[in-house]
This record gives sequence, C-alpha cells and structure tokens, in this order.
Amino acid sequence: MIRIDNLTKCFGPAKILNGIHASINKGECIAIIGPSGAGKSVFLRSMALLEKPDSGTILINGKDITAKDTDINKVREKMGLVAQGFNLFSHLNVMNNITLAPIQVRKQTKAQAEAHAMELLALVGLEEKAYAMPSELSGGQQQRIAIARCLAMDPDIILFDEPTSALDPVMTREVLSIIRKLSGRGITLVIVTHEMDFARETADRVFYLDEGTVYEEGKPADLFKNPVREKTRAFVKTLETLRFTITSKSYDLVAMNARIDWFCRLHGLDSRHNYRIQLAVEELIQEIFLHCFNAINPDLDLTVEHFSVNNEIVLIFKYRWELFNPFDQQAGHQDNLGMTLVTGMARSFDFEYSDGINKLIIKL
Amino acid sequence: MLNEPEIIPMDFLEKIASSFYNNLIAGDAYLVVMKGMLTTVMLSLLALLFGTILGAVFCGTRLSGRKFLEVPVRIITTMLLGSPVTLLLMLLYYVVFANSRTDALIIAILAFTLHTGAHVSEIMRSALGVLSRREWEASRMLGFSELAAFRHITLPQAWKIAKPVYQNTIVNLIQWTSVVGYVTITDLTRTLNNVGSRTGDPFFALFFGILIYMGLSWMVHGLFSIRGKRGVA
Ligand SMILES: Nc1ncnc2c1ncn2[C@@H]1O[C@H](COP(=O)(O)OP(=O)(O)OP(=O)(O)O)[C@@H](O)[C@H]1O
Ligand SMILES: [Mg+2]
Repeated sequence: MIRIDNLTKCFGPAKILNGIHASINKGECIAIIGPSGAGKSVFLRSMALLEKPDSGTILINGKDITAKDTDINKVREKMGLVAQGFNLFSHLNVMNNITLAPIQVRKQTKAQAEAHAMELLALVGLEEKAYAMPSELSGGQQQRIAIARCLAMDPDIILFDEPTSALDPVMTREVLSIIRKLSGRGITLVIVTHEMDFARETADRVFYLDEGTVYEEGKPADLFKNPVREKTRAFVKTLETLRFTITSKSYDLVAMNARIDWFCRLHGLDSRHNYRIQLAVEELIQEIFLHCFNAINPDLDLTVEHFSVNNEIVLIFKYRWELFNPFDQQAGHQDNLGMTLVTGMARSFDFEYSDGINKLIIKL
Repeated sequence: MLNEPEIIPMDFLEKIASSFYNNLIAGDAYLVVMKGMLTTVMLSLLALLFGTILGAVFCGTRLSGRKFLEVPVRIITTMLLGSPVTLLLMLLYYVVFANSRTDALIIAILAFTLHTGAHVSEIMRSALGVLSRREWEASRMLGFSELAAFRHITLPQAWKIAKPVYQNTIVNLIQWTSVVGYVTITDLTRTLNNVGSRTGDPFFALFFGILIYMGLSWMVHGLFSIRGKRGVA
C-alpha cells in the first residue's frame, strides 16, 4: 500500500535520510523507533510531504506522491498526521476543530459533520468536551481531540510523531489506548514512539531507524528479543537496562536523575516509581561513599532494570571494596533517615560478596 | 431681590442657547458642519480602504522573502512610520503635486493612504508573526489548500490579534485627518474653525467639534464590537 524507495533528505551538509526503503501494507501498524536525532520525524514529515524529499519515491496505492502532477491536498485528505504538540486550532472549539475540514474540504453538511464528530468524540471518550476550547483541555485530552480531528476525514493512513512524549504517564495511557483501538480497523498506522511497551504489544512490525536508513525491521518479538545488527542490539540493550559507572565522588547527580526520568518514561513508570528510584540510588551511593573508597576514587557500577510482568524495578550496585552491606543491621546506622526510607520502600534486598566485589540487589 | 441668585443661571443658560444658535443654527451653519463632517468621514474611509489594501501589499512583499522588493518597502514603511503625516501631506501638496492641478482631496487621500498603509502593514506583520506554524501544518495535513488554510486558520486568528490595534488605527486616522485644513480642504475641523471665527465665539464650535470626533470614535468601536459578537455566535 505504501512503498518507499531510496528516499533521501539533506539539511545543508547533513544527510538525514540516506536511502530509506520500506513497504507498509494496508491496515498495518508500524512503530518507528530509534535514537534521538536519527531522523524519525523527518522521515514521517517526508511521507506527508511536509519536507520535500531530495530524491526517492513514495508510492501510495501505486501512485508516486512525489511526482510533480500529484495534488498533495487530495493525498493529505486521506493521510492524517498527529504530532507531538497536538496543534489544535486555538481559535475554534473542539467541535469546530473536528468539523472544519469535513465541512470545508470534503463539503459535508454541518449536521453530517457534527454527527460524525460526536461519534468520534465518543470513541475518544470526550463527548462532554464538545464545546470546550482547546486551552481548557489537558494535554492528553487535546491529543485525543487531535486524533478525533484526524479521524473525521476518514483517513486511510495516520502518521503519529511521538504522540505521547509531551504527556505524563496517565495521559500517555489514555492516548495509547485510543491508538490501540484504531489498529485493526483497516487504517494504516505509522507511529514514531519512545513507548517501547506500546511498540512491543501493538505494532505489527517495528522499524529501527539509524544511519538515515531503516537499519533493521521485524516483528516486535524478534526485533526486541533477537536484534540482528549491531546498532539495533546496542539500542535494545539501553532500553532494557540503565547502566551507570561512577568513578568520582563528585559524579553528575543531575544527569543521572535525568537518565532515570527518561528510563521511567520509556517503561511507562509513573512519577512515584521515578521518585523512588532516584531516592534509592542517591541514598545508597551516599551510604556506600560514606563507608568505602575513603581516600581513593570510587569504582561503582549501577544498573536499573524494569520487569513489566510484575512491574518490578531492580537496582544492582556493584562495588569493589571490603565487605560492606548498607542494609546490615550490625553496621548500626538504622538511625539514618534516608536509609530507613529506602529500607521501607524496598520489596526485598539481596547481598553477595565474592572476589572482593560487593553486589547489592534491591527490588522496588 | 430674593430671586437674585436665580438670575445668574438664567443668564448663563441664555448665553449658551444664543451661542448654540449663533454657531450652529444661524445661516444654516449646521449644514456646513455636516458637510465638513462628510468630508472627514469620506476622507477617512477612503484612506482606510486604500491604506488597508496597501498595507496588505506592503506586508505581502515584506514576507515574500524577495530582497529586492523587501528592502525598498522596508525603507518606505520606516520613513512613513517615523514622520508626522502632516509633513507628508504638505510635502505632497506643496512639492510633489505643486505644479499639477490635482485636487487637494485626492492628495490628502494619497497621504493618508500611505500613512495608514504603513501602519496596517506593521499590524499585519506582527499579527501573522504570532501565528503558529504548527497549526498551519495541521490544517494542510487535513487537506486544506494554502488559500483555504489562510482563510480558515490564519485570517481568523490574525484578525483576533490585530483587531484592537486596527481599531485604534482607524480612530487615530480620523483624528489625524483634522490637519487637512492646511491644504485648503474644508473638513470638519476647518469648518468648525470657520464657524468659530465668524461668530467670534470659538469655544462653543470647537467644543462641539470634540463631541463629534468622540462620536465618530465611539461609532468605530461600536461597529467593531458588533462584528466581534457576530463572530463568536
Ligand atoms: N528543518 C530542519 N532544518 C535543519 N535540520 C533539521 C530540520 N529538521 C530536522 N533537522 C535535523 O535532522 C536531524 C533529525 O531530526 P529528527 O527530528 O527527524 O530526529 P528524530 O529522530 O525525530 O529525533 P527525536 O527522537 O529527538 O524526535 C536532527 O539532527 C535535526 O537537527
Ligand atoms: Mg522527532
């Protein structure tokens, strides 16, 4: 249904898309993943011709939309885009946002368009907001309206560019559940996302974008479990576990917390989990520094893992020093408030010592 | 004798009445005033109409991204914005059209058109500058042509931003046209001035003039609020 051949796009000297090949079947749900700056947005925008490709072809139902004689407005009537920033028309209420294009572009009657809009509002669960202004809605609600507005044109294809990355986890779930409803309705969905669980569960195929190409593609189970190529492997690994190596007592706590934030977003963990991880990591590092590495630079490894099966977070600290277990009652620092908090919120701890390496495993 | 305090107000009211009569009724002065007002209104309306069109053209060229058009327009608008319209009017009347038989009114319309055009161009530019490129893209992605997107998305939003400033521009324009007496046009101000000097009692005529100008301003505001309400409904 969509066939993309040798698509390239440069910005000045920077070659962002470097020969993209892809084919997408009708009704398929494709998740596009990849590192930041890989060109995922540029790829999506090129498919919508919001960026003009330098070369290559985009065939939709056998018709090349990059050809000069294509009426791009006609193409876009059947191809929707939902962007990160919602972009509702700020001067129109929800109903008019949804009905404007059906009335003006598809020449539906007002009654027809409004009836359809009410159905779509029911689909996205926002019937009671039909006459609200966009500014009165939460981000998640605005995004659901943006999806409804897109659906009002009965598109064959909807492109999503990180539809949830401006939203908190609760709103993210709302929006993702709507997108899930759309898959399997015959609409072709192409979704750039950082929500890996969503990609795993909902997508029919996943494209991993890197080096300006579709570096690897496959069914989510294969691509996430057994990535074939090197960069995909590295990427998938960073998704599963967050890893820090700390070699200085003045390590960058802010940067570390930022990465924990990112990790939590990626795994759909809410702010409570986020806070707990940050607290536990900071307290334990402090505790370890207090008792180990007195005069020398530390040598400490930390990994954070998330298991979605039971929503368990596992922190593993490894440090080369004499035996020291921060949770050991004998050590006599139960009066430390931070440690008391960490002890209180942990599901379990494990401690091993072998070959001069302390290994502390905490489950949250 | 006890009535004395009442005599003064009676006297005062009589004075006002006779002043009113002398200034505005006697010799059909009100007709002359009406005629002057008509000149002012017509001059303002035409300058507004042409000025708005010119402003759109200026704005269009400035946003076109073509340097050879953009730079001259920028210079012209900067000069127009930076100088009193009275000087522009006199320049056109006494220098540019000095030897032609062009009607003073036409010259005045030209001067105020240029002046308004420069202002409107700036208003449009700042209103368009605030608009979101993303909403534009969103509308294009729904299948709107450029023209339709402009009409349904850009224009209503720009209008909302520009409206209060545009309204003020109109009021200012009406007031600024009061200088056309300098170039022999008998507009409202000039008329009232004439009346005042004829009767030797200018206060009343000029005060009345202020009321008329205020009335015109209120009419402008009134028209805009009607349109605004209709827009929402
Ligand atoms: N209009 C533009 N002009 C110049 N450079 C651009 C433009 N749009 C994108 N780029 C560059 O292209 C590269 C890819 O950008 P793109 O937004 O597609 O990345 P991405 O994969 O979507 O990343 P993210 O996950 O952060 O959204 C970036 O280096 C960006 O700076
Ligand atoms: Mg992007």
